[in-house]
Amino acid sequence: MKFLRCEGEDFYLEFTSEEKDVLQLLLSFYPLVPATYHRLTQDAQQPKREENQQLLDEALAAQREQNGKAIRALLSEPGRFTETAEASQGRFGRGDLEWLLQVVNDVRVGSWIAQGSPGYEKKKGRPAKAKLRHALYMELAGAFEMFFLGVINGDVPPETPE
Amino acid sequence: MATRTCPEVLPEVTHATDSVSEPDSGYLVICWDDPVNLMDYVTHVFQVVFGWDKKKAKKHMLEVHNEGKSLLTRENLEKAEFYVHELQKYTLNATLERETP
Repeated sequence: MKFLRCEGEDFYLEFTSEEKDVLQLLLSFYPLVPATYHRLTQDAQQPKREENQQLLDEALAAQREQNGKAIRALLSEPGRFTETAEASQGRFGRGDLEWLLQVVNDVRVGSWIAQGSPGYEKKKGRPAKAKLRHALYMELAGAFEMFFLGVINGDVPPETPE
Repeated sequence: MATRTCPEVLPEVTHATDSVSEPDSGYLVICWDDPVNLMDYVTHVFQVVFGWDKKKAKKHMLEVHNEGKSLLTRENLEKAEFYVHELQKYTLNATLERETP
């Protein structure tokens, strides 16, 4: 993954065909975090707890729907990606990268949940095959996140100055 | 010397933050530790959601990591719900809790 340049408010990023395939694969999993994962509060005695939880669930569901539409638009929008012989160059606004971060992190956290939400301690022995797959997706999602964060926050310099 | 050639892009502050950290509003917005959200990511989300500078965001992120949780702000119920929703949109483990005297 490369950060090529900025033009106005747009960031131009380059992915090898393999990297783009992986990103598309990860995006295809969204949403991966179960809808019931988030709780508004841990306080069982809170007034209107269930009612407020339902409102939160609805808001998050609407957000997921919006992100899902944005993914489909991103992958199908003409002119978004320019293909070269060896790579694919994509144009992203800051808002695009911001929701991509949300989406990719959903896949990361969802992959972690799918592994049984392991703690910090490393378990000995070989993990089950299904868990291994989710562990891989989690790490790949993390790599994309760090790249997007580096671009957004200016920690990754562009390869080609404006 | 290398210089930045891109526009300075900082997280947009889209929410009123004047009341952030004001005391006695009744509800605490808390972020809980988990082993999956990346430290840089959590810092970034705090910057975006609360409009904090990186130093303050990082301080709270480290509190989450080292102490298991961080009290992010005290608010009335409506605002606390808003912040919890914003944090959960980014898949952070955040809840609101009533403040006990």
